[in-house]
Amino acid sequence: MERAERVPQPAPPNGRRLAPLLSLLFPGAGHIYAGRQERGLWIAVTAATLLTLLWWLKFWSLLPALVPFWLWNAWETRTIVQGRRPSTVKLVLSAAIIVYAIGWRVTEIDVQRLAAGAQKIRPFVVSLVRPYYVDREVTYAAFPAPVQVPCGEEPSPPPAGAGSGPTIVPTPACASVGETITVRGEGFPPNVEGELWWENPIGDRVRLRSGGEFVTFVADEQGTFEVKVTVPDVVPRQFQESAQLHTVEARYVRDVGPWRLTETSYLVAQRMGETIAQALMATTWGAIFAVPLSFFAARNLMQFHPLALLVYYLARTALNVLRAIEPLIMAIVFVVWVGLGPFAGVLALTMHSIAALGKLYSEAIESIDPGPIEAITATGANRVQVVWYAVLPQVLPPFVAFTVYRWDINVRMSTIIGFVGGGGIGFLLQQWIRLTDFRSASAAIWAIALVVTVLDFFSRKVRERFV
Amino acid sequence: MLEVRKLTKVYDDGTVALKEVSFTVPDGEFLVIIGLSGSGKSTLLRCINRLIEPTSGQILWDGVDITAAGQEELRRIRRQIGMIFQQFNLVKRHTVLTNVLTGRLGYTSTWRSLLGLWSREDRARAMRNLELVGIADKAHNRADELSGGQQQRVGIARALMQEPKLLLADEPVASLDPATSHSVMKYIEWMNRERGLTVLCSLHFLSLARRYGTRIIALRAGELVFDGRPEEIDDRRFKEIYGDEAIEVEIR
Ligand SMILES: Nc1ncnc2c1ncn2[C@@H]1O[C@H](COP(=O)(O)OP(=O)(O)OP(=O)(O)O)[C@@H](O)[C@H]1O
Ligand SMILES: [Mg+2]
Repeated sequence: MERAERVPQPAPPNGRRLAPLLSLLFPGAGHIYAGRQERGLWIAVTAATLLTLLWWLKFWSLLPALVPFWLWNAWETRTIVQGRRPSTVKLVLSAAIIVYAIGWRVTEIDVQRLAAGAQKIRPFVVSLVRPYYVDREVTYAAFPAPVQVPCGEEPSPPPAGAGSGPTIVPTPACASVGETITVRGEGFPPNVEGELWWENPIGDRVRLRSGGEFVTFVADEQGTFEVKVTVPDVVPRQFQESAQLHTVEARYVRDVGPWRLTETSYLVAQRMGETIAQALMATTWGAIFAVPLSFFAARNLMQFHPLALLVYYLARTALNVLRAIEPLIMAIVFVVWVGLGPFAGVLALTMHSIAALGKLYSEAIESIDPGPIEAITATGANRVQVVWYAVLPQVLPPFVAFTVYRWDINVRMSTIIGFVGGGGIGFLLQQWIRLTDFRSASAAIWAIALVVTVLDFFSRKVRERFV
Repeated sequence: MLEVRKLTKVYDDGTVALKEVSFTVPDGEFLVIIGLSGSGKSTLLRCINRLIEPTSGQILWDGVDITAAGQEELRRIRRQIGMIFQQFNLVKRHTVLTNVLTGRLGYTSTWRSLLGLWSREDRARAMRNLELVGIADKAHNRADELSGGQQQRVGIARALMQEPKLLLADEPVASLDPATSHSVMKYIEWMNRERGLTVLCSLHFLSLARRYGTRIIALRAGELVFDGRPEEIDDRRFKEIYGDEAIEVEIR
């Protein structure tokens, strides 16, 4: 846009004062007046574009950000009338200020929110260090006692049979929702700690809370305790009129079983396997289609005939178009096409692998030493023999390296593709995040990290050996 | 007899590499092509087996017009023309033996060569040729494990596999030290004298050209500026070929 050799036309005698003033009034006008039409036009167009953008987005508060550009454009005019070379870099930088200001607004960057929201992801971060791989089976000793809600005509149930072993007695034995009753326990193991639960007439149970915290009890030396609990609201309003029998229950951990793998672990392992298999399939199919395609897309092999050159351009274009489509978008298309599940993911990844590998392969072919091709051709070998004996040995090592690396990438990608329904571990991870089952999500995340690291190490080793 | 008639090569970018070059080579001749870098030596040699397509002119070999040959015929012609290169052009990752065997590709069917099913005679021939150039013990080494001189001898063995009638050698010793140069040139000389091959060999050093050539042609900017016997090149001729600045250096 700026040509150094062009000599600015001599400014009119009064241009020294007039030109900067013109530019201040209307950006670029001074430039045009001083004989720098092209530059002036660029500046005018830029100013108009920026102003239009502000008007369109209604970002009037950002107007001050335009000041540096405005002032610089006027200052520059002064430089020009004085016969010095204006600095394009500074002009562009001053215009960039407003572009960045708009960008900041459009993307709603808000540092405060960043700080304030940190609290919200705490459960997730905490879960991250406690992936749900193992747990222990816990058996409870539970001791129920009936409570009538609300008090009414029905006879109060007889107090629980006072045999041997722990018993609890709620007093009073009837109450309304929201009222407080005292639960007294006797015959519990000394010092045992436990929880209190509530069961409504149809058997739904909730753990009792008081002020947000779970209600717990601790028995004393004699095995007795006393806690106050509030009758919870666990029955639909229309049934709350008639007296019904609820149950309050004290329970403590009787036995803790051995450590065992969770269901989550099995799921993670299974879906991780699915992801690896997906990547393997996609890489293999990708390579199978990419190899022949890459030979057609290698310029040095396709120059022998104008028709071959045409094939070269077609192959090149096909690869470029395919590569331009994000695998995530392809996954969405294939999910519609073949339904949710790993197959859709395989198809999406295969398409992308063909494009990516085809491009890399063909570049590897294009960078080979032409010497052996010449030598083998000179022996009277045909084209297939030339490719087999002179091209393949040279491109095999990079082909292997690229393919293994692709597998590595595909594993990573397939976890993302799972998010849109392409199967594999990503599918599971996405579900767990939605259900706010962060400990299971953490298990999946760590599994992905592990597999990716191992694969990365493995693929690096293979690449080192082959290159 | 090889007959080159008004051979012209203009590259796609407009470079005129050869301008109406004509000469004849009787059977059994050791023809050396000299000339400055960029004078068109490589272009000339590659036009003869059509690794480079000539722009115009004819190349007749025993009456057959190479320039007019179709793909199949061209391959049959090529397999009778051996070629060795300055950079040896071996397939580095293949063994020496495989490299030598590729000299037979023109005689081997596609599927056999893809499976590596070389005939028993070809294998025996390959070992004989490797013995001939003195590196039979390296047969199973990878080609890039060999020294430059050894690699060029593999190149010679590969050319010998074709049982060629004509040998094209494009600066076969330019990447080698003087002593090794002579040992390689001696193999080429042996092929010319004992096997009766016609040799077309481009060389950088006039001393080598004088020592091995039975006849010399010189190119200057794509034009033939000398065609005669080695001893005819005197000081004046030398300056014509290489320019006034040049002085002759000797390779012993
Ligand atoms: N593929 C090509 N495209 C365009 N010009 C080329 C090409 N190959 C060679 N040339 C040009 O043709 C001319 C002759 O080149 P050629 O390689 O035949 O010379 P040479 O005598 O073999 O040189 P050297 O001694 O350096 O090998 C040079 O000017 C070179 O730049
Ligand atoms: Mg050359």
